[in-house]
Amino acid sequence: MRCTERLTALLAAAIAALGAGCANVERSRDVANAAVPGPVLARQVCSMCHGTAGSAVSPNFPNLAGQTAPYLSSQLRSFRARQRRDPAGYEYMWGLSRALTDDQIDALAAYFSAAALQPQPVEGRAEQIGAGARIFAAGVPARDVPACASCHGDKALGNAIFPRLAGQHMDYLIKQLEVFQRTDERSDPQTMPTGLLMKNVAHSLDAAQIVAVAAYVQSLR
Amino acid sequence: MSPSWPGAPCLAMRSIVRAKYRSVLAALLGLLLIASTAQALPLFNRQTGQNCMACHAGGQFPELTPYGRLFKMTGYTLGARTAVPLSAMALVSDSSVANTGKSLSPASDFFKQNDVILATASVFAGGKITDNIGAFLQVTYDPYAVRNADGSYAGHTAADNMDLRWADRFVDAERDLVVGVSLNNNPSVSDPWNTAPAWMQYVPVPSPGSSQFIDGTSPYPGYSAGGNIAGLTTYAFLDRTWYGEVGLYGTARGPLSFMTEGNAPRTFLRGLNPYWRLAWNREWGPHSLMVGTGGMFARVYEDPNDPGTIDRYLDWSVDSQYQYLLDPHAVTFQFVYARNRHGYPNAQGGQPVAFVDAAGNPLAPTRYKTRSDLLRAKVSYVYQARYGGSLSAFGLHGTSNTANISSGYDPATLSITADPAAAAPSLPVNGNLTGSPGTRGWTVEAFWMPVQYVRIGAQYTAYSRYNGSATNYDGFGRNASDNNSLFVYMWMAY
Repeated sequence: MRCTERLTALLAAAIAALGAGCANVERSRDVANAAVPGPVLARQVCSMCHGTAGSAVSPNFPNLAGQTAPYLSSQLRSFRARQRRDPAGYEYMWGLSRALTDDQIDALAAYFSAAALQPQPVEGRAEQIGAGARIFAAGVPARDVPACASCHGDKALGNAIFPRLAGQHMDYLIKQLEVFQRTDERSDPQTMPTGLLMKNVAHSLDAAQIVAVAAYVQSLR
Repeated sequence: MSPSWPGAPCLAMRSIVRAKYRSVLAALLGLLLIASTAQALPLFNRQTGQNCMACHAGGQFPELTPYGRLFKMTGYTLGARTAVPLSAMALVSDSSVANTGKSLSPASDFFKQNDVILATASVFAGGKITDNIGAFLQVTYDPYAVRNADGSYAGHTAADNMDLRWADRFVDAERDLVVGVSLNNNPSVSDPWNTAPAWMQYVPVPSPGSSQFIDGTSPYPGYSAGGNIAGLTTYAFLDRTWYGEVGLYGTARGPLSFMTEGNAPRTFLRGLNPYWRLAWNREWGPHSLMVGTGGMFARVYEDPNDPGTIDRYLDWSVDSQYQYLLDPHAVTFQFVYARNRHGYPNAQGGQPVAFVDAAGNPLAPTRYKTRSDLLRAKVSYVYQARYGGSLSAFGLHGTSNTANISSGYDPATLSITADPAAAAPSLPVNGNLTGSPGTRGWTVEAFWMPVQYVRIGAQYTAYSRYNGSATNYDGFGRNASDNNSLFVYMWMAY
C-alpha cells in the first residue's frame, strides 16, 4: 500500500472513530444547540476570551467570575435581542448569544456568578485609586454625581441588577463609562431603561474622574 | 477615496495615481459598500456571528488573535453550522517595478506594469461540520496562470490551502487541553501563529511579471516541499502554554488528489516526510507572546519516474510573535530565523556548468549540498481595525552554487549574451551572475479597511541586494534597486 493510501485509511479510521457521534454535547462549542448545557458553553466557548472560570486575562474582555447572576442574565438577554449596542457587545457578543435559550442564559449566569474571581494585579496608580475611592464613596456633589457605593455596594460587589465592579479590568470599566456617557448604546430608554441610571451618573464625570473611579474599583477585592 | 501611501517614491506615485486607476477602484469600492450593507458576511463570520476583529488582530486577516487561534485549534467548530458554507475572496491589484528599462522585452518581462488587474479569486468552503469536525478548504482562480504561445494568458483554477480537522477540548478549572488531527496539503497551514511559513506571507501574489519583485515574492520562510502535497498532523495545546504538532506528508494521490487538483506540476514526495512544531505561548493582560520552532525533512522527486532525482531538504526555523491587542490598538512584532539545507541528487553534484569566467576558464563544479539562512522581521500597527501599516526587513544569504548561475560568460564569445542560439545563453532581469541566493531589503506598507471585508493597501519593497549582488546581478547591468516595487491592492472577502 502506498504511503498516501495508508494516510487516507488512517484518517478515515480516525474520523469514523472520533466523529461517529455528530453531536458531542458534553464538550460542544455549538451556540445554537439548546441541548448543550450552560456550563459546557461556559468552558468550551466563553472561556476562550473570559477565562476558564470567568477570570479574563485580556482587559479587552470583562471578568465574569463573581458577577451577579441577575446582571449577567440581563446582559446576555440584551445581547441576544441586539439591544446592548456598544462595540464590545455587537462585535463579540451578538453572534454568540443569538440562539441561546433562556435556560442556557440562566445557567451561564449561575455558573459565572458562583465562580471565584482569581486574584487580579492592581492596574491603576495609587493617586488614581485614592481619588477614585472618594468618588466611589461620596460621589461628586458639585456635579450631582451620586456615590457609586449606593447601588454597587460598599465593596463594589454588586447587588442584583447592579453589577459587581470589584476587580473588573480598568480598561473595560473606562470604556463602558464612556459608552454610558457619550452614547445610548447601553441606555436606550425604550429597550434598556436601567442603563439610563448609569447614563445620568456618568454624564457629569470628567475623563480623569472616570479613570480614577475605574482604578479604584479595579483595586478592590 | 484618496488614501495616501507613505514611503512610495514620487515616480511610482505619479504612475499609479491616474484617472483610470481611481475610477476602477472607486467603482469597485462602491459595489463593495452596497454589498456590505446587504449583510454579505464571510463564512466564519456567519458561523460565529462575530466581527472579523474577534479572530483577526486589528481585523487584518489572516493574522489571528489569541481567540482566533483557539477557534482554529478547536477545528473551526465554535458557533452554529451555516446553511451555505461558502465564502469568496478576490484581489484587485496594480504593480509597478522601479526600472523596466533594463530589459530586452519590457512588455513581457513586466507584463501588466501599472495596470489594474483582477489578480486572483478564491472560493472557501467549510467551517463547522460536526461538534468535532471542521474544515477550511480554499480553491483559487488565477486569471494569469498560463501564458500561451501567442503571449496571451489563460486562467486556471486549482486547489489552494486545505485543512480538514477533528478536534476536541478537555477543559475544567485545573486543565485546558486542546487536541486535534489535521489533514492538510501545506506544511504549517495548520499552525495557529502567523509566523508559520504557510502564513507569514499572505497577500496573494499576482502571476504577471510586473509583480515578480513585490513583497510576496521576496524571501519568506517556507518549506521546500511546497504546498501541493498531503499530510496528516496531530497537535495538542496544553493550558494555553505549550503547543506541539507532529505530522507526516506524502504525495497527494488517490483519494487525496483533490488536495492538489489543478496544480501543475504536481509535487511528488518519496515516502512519508516528517513535520514538527513546538511553541511556548503566554498571554498576560493585553499581551501575548509565542516563541517556537518548527521544521520538516522532505524528499522531493524532480522526476517521479526516476528514483535517482531526489532532492533532500531539511528546513527548520525559530520564530516568535508578540501581540498587543487592546481596542483600538493592535501591535504585532514577528520574527523568523529559518535555515534550509538542500542535498542535490547525486548526479547533479560535481558537474561542470556551461558558463565560463571572463577569461574563459571553467567555473567551479556544482555543489552536492547547499545551505541558506533567512532572517525576517516585521512590525505592524492597526488603529480602530481600520488604519494600519507595517515595516519589515528581510535578509537571505546562503552558499554560492554554480548550479544557480543563470547568467554568465558564453564560452564561445566570452560575452554575456541573451542569444538563445549561444552555447550558454544568459537570462536578463531574473538572471543570477554570482550563483548566490543572497537577497536583502525591506518593505513598508500602509492599509485602510473601510469596511471589515475590504482592505486597500500599498506595499513598497526596496532591495539592497538581489541574487547575491547590489549591482549588475543579472550580467546585463540590472541593479538590485531596479527591482524596487510598488504593489497596490484591494483585497475583498465575503
